This record gives sequence, structure tokens and C-alpha cells, in this order.
Amino acid sequence: MKKLKIAAGILWAILCLILIIVLFPGLNTFSSNVSRMPFMKINHNFTGGEAAEQKIMENCTLVIRKPVFDGLIGERRHGFVQLDWRGRIPEILSDTIDYDMDMKPDFAIRINRTESSTVLHSMNPKVKGTGISTPTSYGWSVRVKIIK
Amino acid sequence: MDEVITNQSLNKSFGKSLLYTLPMFLITFAFISGGRINFSDHSGILAILLTFLGMNILYFLMHYTGKTDKFRAILFIIFALSLSFTLIKNMVAIRHSMSFSQADIVECKIPFCHLVIPMMILPAAFTKSIIFPGTILGGFANISSMVVLWLVATIVLGRGFCSWGCFYGGWDDGFSRFRKKPVIKKISGYWKWMPFAVLLMVALTAAISLTPTYCSWICPFKAVTEFEQVTSVESAAKAGMFISLFGGLVVVLPMLTRKRTQCSFLCPLGAINSLSNKITPFIVKIDKKVCNECLKCVDVCPLFALTPEDVKSGNVSVFCSKCGKCVDACPRKAIHYGLKGIPAGSMKNFSRNIFLFVSFLFIAVFSSGSIITVLKSIFNLFI
Amino acid sequence: MLDTFILGLSSGSTCLLTCGMVIFPYLMAGSAGTRKIITDLSFFLLTRLVVYFLLATLAWYFGKAILTSAIFRNYVSGILYILFAVMLVWYSISRNRKPDCPAKIVTTVNNKKLVPVLLGVVNSLGFCPALFLILTNSATQGTLARSYLAFLGFFAGSSLYFLPLPLAGRIRKKKVFETVGILATGLAGIIFIIKGITNLIGGIING
Repeated sequence: MKKLKIAAGILWAILCLILIIVLFPGLNTFSSNVSRMPFMKINHNFTGGEAAEQKIMENCTLVIRKPVFDGLIGERRHGFVQLDWRGRIPEILSDTIDYDMDMKPDFAIRINRTESSTVLHSMNPKVKGTGISTPTSYGWSVRVKIIK
Repeated sequence: MDEVITNQSLNKSFGKSLLYTLPMFLITFAFISGGRINFSDHSGILAILLTFLGMNILYFLMHYTGKTDKFRAILFIIFALSLSFTLIKNMVAIRHSMSFSQADIVECKIPFCHLVIPMMILPAAFTKSIIFPGTILGGFANISSMVVLWLVATIVLGRGFCSWGCFYGGWDDGFSRFRKKPVIKKISGYWKWMPFAVLLMVALTAAISLTPTYCSWICPFKAVTEFEQVTSVESAAKAGMFISLFGGLVVVLPMLTRKRTQCSFLCPLGAINSLSNKITPFIVKIDKKVCNECLKCVDVCPLFALTPEDVKSGNVSVFCSKCGKCVDACPRKAIHYGLKGIPAGSMKNFSRNIFLFVSFLFIAVFSSGSIITVLKSIFNLFI
Repeated sequence: MLDTFILGLSSGSTCLLTCGMVIFPYLMAGSAGTRKIITDLSFFLLTRLVVYFLLATLAWYFGKAILTSAIFRNYVSGILYILFAVMLVWYSISRNRKPDCPAKIVTTVNNKKLVPVLLGVVNSLGFCPALFLILTNSATQGTLARSYLAFLGFFAGSSLYFLPLPLAGRIRKKKVFETVGILATGLAGIIFIIKGITNLIGGIING
């Protein structure tokens, strides 16, 4: 029994040695495999949700994403909807948005990029205000706070 | 003066030390250079050469002198400093600032670090997603690579990750060595359980809010890497917390106590790594036949892993990060690196050699990137 | 509800360790089978829930009567949060605490069927900083339903620790759980201090 324990300890140590030696050369392969696991995607609260609709305008595209209410279990009452303007966006962005696809406008938003000001006019009691409004590498993004 | 037991000395002759260094020499050369050297980049070649040589000299000295901690600490501290430098340099080059903006969060461009891992587990189980605005694959410090690196390191080294892998630990390890003697000598071991309480609270709050609460509010190392732009009272409060915790737990308390107080009293990842100490084959053992309970090991341990009761029972606790300080301090060589299954006092040299190879290889390759980047930046100023 | 759940979870271990040694021997006394233990435990927890709902109702009505303006509510809740949270933190770091279960006297009652119910009543009325915090939270809620939800969160968090009670004798290293639980209680206190300061600043800004 004592000899078996010693042999097991040494064997486990040698396996760890091999593991460390293959770790770095195999890091890309291991990372790729790990990235394919079902939980390896960024939560919608950070990505902004999936794209629901795209409006192609003169020089840019407006991407309206699906509302995000993700919670730990089920959905939360409070969430947001993200809008992305991509491309050569003008100095003033002004759009009326129907985020829930019920053919009724929910809010109007006006962004002055020079002054970095964002004005939201709510037409739906579920729309509660502006969260993030920021220039991005692709244009401009806004998150509008909404409730279910 | 205590009798020093010399028949089980861990130091080797010059030739033997060179022989033991040879495998490390070859493997680190292959890993650090990546098999591709750009001979036209003079500062790059010099940086790689210096890093490679420096690391192997440290490893050689570990074998030649039989001492572990001070040579480990040199590399560990340089790693921490170089990583912060590299991160700050990148951020300033891209964003002209150490802070990240809301755009970086929206575009999921935040570099991932292993301290997020304790907060990821519950949300990943329930929502099947990662609650961090980073990249899954590709780019700098992507989530998949960091998870793989941490997972393998923690299985192999257990809490040894905290002394041989963590690129933040070098900060408080370094500050804890400033003074020769501690000003505050007695700290209750009760507080060493705080990381478990922090782990419980950050795991719960992160799961409930679906945000990495430790990173958002209490990570002290935000002070030397990157933090949210101060645009509101809340973000100003956060910045205040980061700076206060860094100042208190990473700088001042380690200097006064000669202990790694951030790692001992706050880090939730340290709590998880303590648990993984149960898996790793490498442990520190006390040979009770030789030990005379002088308790020098208890005094020098930076992570409160040893108590007089532990020494009496001959069992080192799960808080041990295998830094080697107690091993080097013991005048009778009673405390030593060992392998699970092998009785204390037996196969000391074999156990130490295999542990050193595994742990040093990990830190050498893991740290090489940032050290080379720093050296290259320095050389570019002159070349 | 989520912050009260966290409060319950962090302070529940202390609650268990204070009163667990009173409740556990009662549950395991005599020839109690598993079914009886589960029945008694269920009565104990159900009684706690009922008492908490009563407290939630009282706290909410009290809040409605006294805390009439939103600004006053912010001030009062802010100060109370900070006060009770500091008490909670002090409790976790104090080295002289001698936790004494208020439910001890109940086990002297002759009617054994009533004991789990009475234990539940006394345990839930054991005034500790965590209960004061939850009462403050409840008093400042907008609706009675929200007040109930706050207490429900606290109940859920604290009751988790009582569920494996019948196995308590088999749990090794109880001291470790006690230590971690007490430290976690202190951290929960710090979270409520921050909440209190936020409410107070809100009151000052809006006032």
C-alpha cells in the first residue's frame, strides 16, 4: 500500500510535468476547444443583444438590437435596447425607433456628436431613459433603458 | 545555534546544477523564441536573449545554492512590474489614457484576467454565458486562453499559482520585502479566512447582478492596470476604493508586516486555489523526526499557511503557496517540498527538482512576453 | 429582494450556529426518525416565514405612516442602514461576542408538538443587526408586496443553512464555516453601509 501511494504520487507529478510542457505549445488548440463550449459566449448585458433590424441610410447603417432583459434565472423587469450607428455617420443623429416591432414608435432620439449630447423623447411608458451613449470604433452606440 | 543537518543538503555542485538547468534551457529557448526570431529586430533579439539568459541563471542558482524563494521572488516581482508596464503602455498608446471608456465595454474590448474566474462560475452555469466584456478568442488576454492557463496551472500547482503564476502577486510580495524586520508582528490568523468570505460575497453579488463585482468595486490592482473612466460619483468612488485598497493592502501593510496581506486577506481566487491544493501532487511537508519546533517557518510564512499547531502536527495548511520561504529558512531542513504519497523526509531532492522544473517553467514562459516587451521598450530608447 | 437574499445568506450561517445547537439536539432527541425531523424542521421554517410576513406588514405600515416624503425616506433609511450595517460589521470583527440563542427557553416547554413552532417564533424575533437592516429595507418599500419580497429574500437566504440541519453532526470543520460566515456577515454589512450612503447622498441631492 505504501509503495502504491508513492508510485501514484510520482506518476501524478510526472503527468503534471507533461501537462505543463504541452500547455504553451498547445495553448491555441486548447483555447479553441474551450471557446466552443456552450457557455463560452459573452452575456447579452455586455454585447448589447442580437441584431433585430437594420436600417440602411445615406452613409450609415442603424442596427436596432433585440431588447435585453437577461437575468440569472429568467428575465428581469428592467433592461435596455441598444442602437448602433455604423459607417460614416453625420454630426447629428436623429431617429424615431420602434424597438418592439408593434408598428408604433416608442421613442425619438437625437444625438449631437460634436457636443456629445443625447436627447431622448419617450413615446412609450416602457421607455425610461438613456443609459450609455458613446462613440465607438464603428460609429456610435446608445443603450436606452426600458422595462418589460 | 541550531545544528544544521547537511547530509540532506539541497544544493548541488556547479556541474550538476548546469546539467539540471539544461532541460529548462532548451525548453525555454523553444517556447520563448517561438521558433521564430527576427534577426533584423536588434532590440527584440537583445530582449529575448537577456530574458532567456536571466531566467536560466535564476533556475541554475536555485539548484546551485539550494535556495528557492529569493530567486523565485526576483522573477515574480519583475513579472508583476513588467505586466503592469506593458498594459499601461498599450492603453496609453491606443486610448491615450489608463482608463477604459464605455465604448470599450460596449465593444467588449476589456482584457481578461484570472481574478474574474470566481465570479464567472455561477452565471456561466445558469445563463450559459460569460459576464465579462472581453473577447472569447483572439486578441490580447482573451478569455479562453486565460481560463486554460489558470485551469492547468491550478490543477498542477494548486495554490502554488499564487507564488509562481499570478501576475499581481509580485506587487505585495515585493513590498513585503522592503523592511528587514516587521513593525506589526502579531496578526490574528482569523483574518486568513476573509478571502473565502470575499469569494462567497463576490460570487453571489456577481451572479445576482450579472456584473464582475470584484473587478468593478474592489480589485486593488486596478490602480496599476486599468480602470473605468471617472465620469460620475460612482466611478470616482470606485477609483477611490482601488487606490485605497492598493495603498493599504498591497503597499503599506506588506511593508509593515512582511506578509502578503492582499493575497492573504482579500483575493477570492486565492481561496479557490487553496481548495485546489487538495488536487495538486506537490505539497510542502514537515519531517517531524528532524523538526525541533523552533517555529522559524511560522514567522517567515507570508500567507499565514503555518501555525504552531500545524508544525506540531506536521501538516502544512491548504493556504500554502509553495513559495519556498519556509524551506529556505529552516535551519534543520525539516520542512521541504514533497509529493503526495511519499512520506515526509523521503525523496526530498527528487520532489524539489520535479516541483521546481514544473513551477519555474510555468512562470518563465508565462512571464516572458511582458518582460521581453519591457526590455525591448528600454532598448529602443538607446538603439 | 436580491440584496436581502444576500443579507440572509451571509448572516444565516451565524444564525444557524447560534441557534443550531439548541434546535439540533431537540430535533435529534429521543427516537426521532427522518420523517419527524423533516416535519419539525418544516414547522420551524414555516413559522419563521409567517413571523417574517407579519414583521414585513408592520414595518411597511410603520414606514408608510412615518416616512411620508421620499426625501425624508432617503435620509432616514440612509442613516438607519449605516447604523445597523456598522453594528453588523462590528459584530463580525468583535472578539468578545457571546452568541446566546434566545430560543433556549422554548425547549423547556412541555408540549413537544409546540416546540418547533415556538422555536421558529423566537428565532425569527431574535433582534440582531441583520433583522434591523431588513426591517429598515421593508419600511422604505413602495408597496406591501415589495416589503414581503424583501423579507422573502432574507428568509430564503437564511433558511438555506437550516436545511441540512439533520446532518449537522456529520459536518466536520464547523469552526471554519462559523468563521467564514461571520466574516461574510461583516462584508454584507459593508454593502449596506454603501447602500445607506447612496440613499443619504440621494436625499441630500434631492432635498
